[in-house]
Amino acid sequence: MAKKKSEEHSGTDANDSDYNEEPNFEDPPNFVDNISDEDLLGDMIAQRPSEADGVESVVVVDNIPKVEPSRLDKLKSVINKLFSHCGDIVNVVYPVDEEGKTKGYAFMEYKHANQAEEAVNKLNNHRLDKNHTFAVNLFTDFQKYENIPEKWDPPTVQPFKVQNDLYNFINDPDAYDQYCVAAETAQSCVQVGFWQNTLPEPTELETRERFTDTFVKWSPLGTYVVTFHKPGVAIWGGSNFQKIQKFPHPGTQFVEFSPCENYLVTYGPTPTGQKIIIWDIRTGAEKRSFVADSMTMLSMFRWSHDDKFVARMGESSIHIYETPSFYLLDMKSIKIPGIRGFSWSPTDNVIAYWVEEQNQIPARVTLMEIPKKRETRNKNLFHVADCKLHWQKSGDYLCVKVDRYSKLKKDKKELDVKFLGMFYNFEIFHMREKEIPVDSVEIRELILAFAWEPIGNKFSIIHGEPNSSNVSFYEVNKGVKPSLVKKLEKKSCTHLFWSPRGQFIVMANLTMGTFEFVDTTNDYIISASPDHFRAGEVEWDPTGRYVVTGVSSWKVKEDTGFNMYTFQGRIIKRTILKNFVQFLWRPRPPTLLSEDKQKEIKKNLKKYYPVFEQKDRLRLTRASKELLEKRAQLRETFMEYRNKRIAEWKDQKSRRVMLRGHVDTDDLETDEVDEEIVEFLVKEEITVLE
Amino acid sequence: MRPLMLQGHERSITQIKYNREGDLLFSSSKDQKPNVWYSLNGERLGTYDGHQGAVWCLDVDWESRKLITGAGDMTTKIWDVEHGTVIASIPTKSSVRTSNFSFSGNQAAYSTDKAMGQNCELFIIDVRNADSSLAEQTPTLRIPMIESKITSMLWGPLDETIITGHDNGNIAIWDIRKGQKVVDSGSDHTGGINDMQLSKDGTMFVTASKDTTAKLFDSESLMCLKTYKTERPVNSAAISPILDHVVLGGGQDAMEVTTTSTKAGKFDSRFFHLIYEEEFARLKGHFGPINSLAFHPDGKSYASGGEDGFVRVQSFDTTYFENIFE
Repeated sequence: MAKKKSEEHSGTDANDSDYNEEPNFEDPPNFVDNISDEDLLGDMIAQRPSEADGVESVVVVDNIPKVEPSRLDKLKSVINKLFSHCGDIVNVVYPVDEEGKTKGYAFMEYKHANQAEEAVNKLNNHRLDKNHTFAVNLFTDFQKYENIPEKWDPPTVQPFKVQNDLYNFINDPDAYDQYCVAAETAQSCVQVGFWQNTLPEPTELETRERFTDTFVKWSPLGTYVVTFHKPGVAIWGGSNFQKIQKFPHPGTQFVEFSPCENYLVTYGPTPTGQKIIIWDIRTGAEKRSFVADSMTMLSMFRWSHDDKFVARMGESSIHIYETPSFYLLDMKSIKIPGIRGFSWSPTDNVIAYWVEEQNQIPARVTLMEIPKKRETRNKNLFHVADCKLHWQKSGDYLCVKVDRYSKLKKDKKELDVKFLGMFYNFEIFHMREKEIPVDSVEIRELILAFAWEPIGNKFSIIHGEPNSSNVSFYEVNKGVKPSLVKKLEKKSCTHLFWSPRGQFIVMANLTMGTFEFVDTTNDYIISASPDHFRAGEVEWDPTGRYVVTGVSSWKVKEDTGFNMYTFQGRIIKRTILKNFVQFLWRPRPPTLLSEDKQKEIKKNLKKYYPVFEQKDRLRLTRASKELLEKRAQLRETFMEYRNKRIAEWKDQKSRRVMLRGHVDTDDLETDEVDEEIVEFLVKEEITVLE
Repeated sequence: MRPLMLQGHERSITQIKYNREGDLLFSSSKDQKPNVWYSLNGERLGTYDGHQGAVWCLDVDWESRKLITGAGDMTTKIWDVEHGTVIASIPTKSSVRTSNFSFSGNQAAYSTDKAMGQNCELFIIDVRNADSSLAEQTPTLRIPMIESKITSMLWGPLDETIITGHDNGNIAIWDIRKGQKVVDSGSDHTGGINDMQLSKDGTMFVTASKDTTAKLFDSESLMCLKTYKTERPVNSAAISPILDHVVLGGGQDAMEVTTTSTKAGKFDSRFFHLIYEEEFARLKGHFGPINSLAFHPDGKSYASGGEDGFVRVQSFDTTYFENIFE
């Protein structure tokens, strides 16, 4: 075609018919090109290489150490190691000054642009050491920020969107508590129902199928509920339990909230060890991550009560991290040789820890103020096998349960240490008193359980033999030794559960599923002792009004479900639920009322009491009325059916009578058996009277 | 009132039945010897000796003259109630699972298990002039059960129909004049039917099923009227002849009994309101699952037979009759 065209063109030229000669492609002199390149070869232009090519896979790393040429190789290898995690590096440039010293920045070119982006996401703000925190940026970003237009357009106003009110669950006028019930409907598929414990029957708020893979957990103030999935964990909250945030940590097995719900710690095993990530709950950002060698309780992070610090025990040290930076407090951990355990006070920034016996140095319990790291109290202890630190929930007391021995027997190898003649001490630290006096209580029997009254000054112990143990209650008072106030003998309980408001306690045997409800202000009377066969869980509601015992299908396959009792042990409801796994009351945040206000309410309780009583009564009568109406309805429909059938039955009477040989058995009542008196002559005797 | 404990069986009870007047209580057991008791005082009147296998079922006719039993020795036997002698012994090809007299007592039906290469079959025989020759006579009707084995069986109210409860939870009505199925319940029950008992007038019956429920059905249309829910397989259920009550008994399979304590209260007789489907009472006593329950025809007492081998006859207190539901 083109050839032909050229011929036509050439035709205009004079005497030109030699085909071997190059044809003339020149536009005619007056030709105007009205077709743009894009129209003609748009597809090819799109593929045309551009100047920017390759630039977007380059990152600029600032704040790297400035080093001498001799150490450049070392620096390169360190940085290369870090950055090669994000992808293949094809080119590296370390600009140097006249003396060959690096200038404190470098360029890395990756194979692909997305690898560069990953490097920015992962390594920006990475702390190489104390003085060097990387600033990693895309090379193209520099251009972008250089070309910021001078003129500023005000952003358009976004329409107002109502935020999901995370705290609406405490707005309930009747202060009914909520709870969730989880049941494993299939393998790795747990259904969760949310309920409100209303009178007379609980109300279902929401039920979610396949809500979590394993289990659920409430945050400590009840704002969120966390679910576990293969890619990570998610938190839910608000009126309809909407998804609030996702935390991508694959294989998370366990989570821990900080006490004020600012941070979430996720724990998940990896082939190299336990991976621990601390997240900011509101932004969903990863704050810091760790890899621990083992999943022992010792590697667990523990939060201070106000979220200001988080601590972890290491080999002969405690690492305390400050929030929100998550740097070590004062940039170093606290060296404590031989540390075996520590615990935060639930109300103050005080750490209690204990150190084991070493080379003639006795074991020691120490209280330390944070962040000053000032030791406020030291207590030396002898012949210590083990210690357990128990803080009272209001932070008034610390009880250290000390397992002691009278003789230490070491095997020849000196590896197996055997303790002989065990006995137990309870060291009570009075935290609120000057100089923190310490009292001790000695018990020469096996201790099975210990529990503080959460609000109040009592603690209780189960001691003795497992099958016939004693429960002792001690009272702690200012300036005097703790005194035994009550000993309940020959019990078979294994666990103690105080009401969160104190005063009431449930003594439970979690192997058999027997429970005893005790009022500690009323001469320790056992108000009820219900059974719930094989129940392994006891859950007090956050207000201390109800107790739930549960049989979870994690342990038992038969008759799983939960029972609800009043705080005095009166059964309210039995629920049998197939594959039931968990019952959890939704926690409540602490009251915002001042102490005076609370006292005032307590004083005037009599005034409020009838109002609530009236309300409850009304609800119950309404419910019973509804029930009666429902029954009347059922009766009516059933009787209608019955009357029809009875009429039919009566019609068939003649046939029935015929079938039974003309005997009417319909109304033959057994009651109509007549008593018959039969008299007969037994003997006749004639006696002649004289 | 203290219950009467009828101790006479050496193995678990399989079925108990009162006669029409209620003065006699018949019990069958795996120990091969059905017993008859005075229901008033629990005294044993006698035993019916002759079976050589576990006796699975029994029934007495309305005149208390004849007793029919079915057993694992592959016979069904008709007995003279008064003398304890065998009138007829009919050999079968597998164990006899159910056996009942019709309303008139002129006919009897029995069903065999699906076992030893034999299909489950329902047989109907004429017993008006029963004697030992019955063993050679061909039954008046044979219906092979192809789909699922019969686990419970009842005669309809007028000698015309038979209601069968099956292993797969199905219930069906058979017209014996046509010899075919006339009504099928579909899948109201999801587990095998362990027991079926008619109400006093025979217009409805209650089922007991492995699916942990008992249900009330209309005996003509098989319409499900009510459902009584428990957590355990229900082995037996009975309707009170005088009040709107049903009693349910059961427990888990005998295999799993050892994993449950008697405290857990799973061997109780459980009383439900017939119409409201609400449970209102439980009675403890047996230390094994309850296999069979029966109300006395006067409704003032009831009897239960258990896996533990005991039959308990319990008279109701006056409060039972005063406790009227609104």
